[in-house]
Amino acid sequence: MREVDSRGKRCPAPILDCAAAIAAIAQGESITLLSDDPATLPDLLAWARMTNNSAKQTSEATFLVTKK
Amino acid sequence: MVRVTGNFQKESPLHPKAQGALLAAFDAGWADPRKLCASSSKAHHLRQEALESIAFQLSLRADEIEILGEPLMGHFLSIAGLATSSETKIFFSATSRSEVIATARAFQPVELPVDIDGNIECSPYDGEGVLSLQIANGETGIVSQVEKISKLFPSARIACDATTTPDVSLMPARWDSALFDSTSWSGPAGIAVLAIRNSKEWKNPLPHIGISRVPQSYSLPLLLSSVVALEAWKSDLSEDLRLRDLNTQLRLRIKNSITNCDIAGDLDSSLSHISSFSFLYCHGEELLRELSIRGFDLDSGSACTSDDLAPSHVLAAMGLLTHGNIRLTIHRGTTAQEIDSLANAIIESVAQMRAKN
Repeated sequence: MREVDSRGKRCPAPILDCAAAIAAIAQGESITLLSDDPATLPDLLAWARMTNNSAKQTSEATFLVTKK
Repeated sequence: MVRVTGNFQKESPLHPKAQGALLAAFDAGWADPRKLCASSSKAHHLRQEALESIAFQLSLRADEIEILGEPLMGHFLSIAGLATSSETKIFFSATSRSEVIATARAFQPVELPVDIDGNIECSPYDGEGVLSLQIANGETGIVSQVEKISKLFPSARIACDATTTPDVSLMPARWDSALFDSTSWSGPAGIAVLAIRNSKEWKNPLPHIGISRVPQSYSLPLLLSSVVALEAWKSDLSEDLRLRDLNTQLRLRIKNSITNCDIAGDLDSSLSHISSFSFLYCHGEELLRELSIRGFDLDSGSACTSDDLAPSHVLAAMGLLTHGNIRLTIHRGTTAQEIDSLANAIIESVAQMRAKN
């Protein structure tokens, strides 16, 4: 699984990184997003709702994002 | 091309009548109304008239209102005054103001979650405590379902946060304390009205000095100016309908022109003059700067625009996008042309920013 490291970046950079990585994978595949920006959790969940993908937090600075 | 300049920030200039009254008020109301001399007697008389006018305009009794010179401290006084001990449960919406949340944390805080429309989702609670009830949210304009929520807490005392609007028709039938802010009716900053309906249940939570219920550290001239602004606000309620029309047009333009945009709340259940938009893949601070260059000043709840770099807890609690956020207040006197120009500027700026990304 591809890992996208956005640690140290501020909003909306982690979401832009995530969107670019998701665009490059096939439906049903996932990426791991690393981000320590406090806005990432709410924004990633909102992004998943708006783009019809799925995202969940797996640890404090790690997120699993799946292309639907 | 003519550059249009528009203020859509939360703050607005004083109402012209209040501005005019302010200078006269400094001339007439400089003395300490508590002292025994002619100038103080005049100040005392002016203060009594002001209290009666405010009470009348807000459908309150003059003896149940206190004036505060520090509006943010009013949240503490309103809530903590109803708490019986440090063990008192304080219930508050996840979209409450930071001052309310901070006050609740001094007791036993119970945060009530909200749905994506900003409505509180919780089970009934029949125990005692204090329910902090926000009448309308200052960031999104969403009006709370106050009757429904207050009935879920039949035994709790209710502290209303009415700092976003002086529209008392939005208040619940049952409440114990309420806080209003002069800036919500285009009055001067630094004046708040604390209404204590249930004086037997409210106790001053601050160290007591003298016999007054709250510190009397407000400026009388500011109070007099605020009264004039409130009277002007109440005398022109038809403007509210016009602002709602303008806001409807703006929301429709944005919704139909920009994809991947979160608009907070439905305007039918919101204050007429507030809107909050979040645009996916946009940078809130850059968007604010770009709009400012184009002649429009707005606010934002994005993390990059806040002092502590934290995103808006209101948007986060609702599950809305926090980056690329702009929020705007349509002030009285705003024209349809200004709204049209603002919509064009937002649409162009978002497209420009997304193309760059």
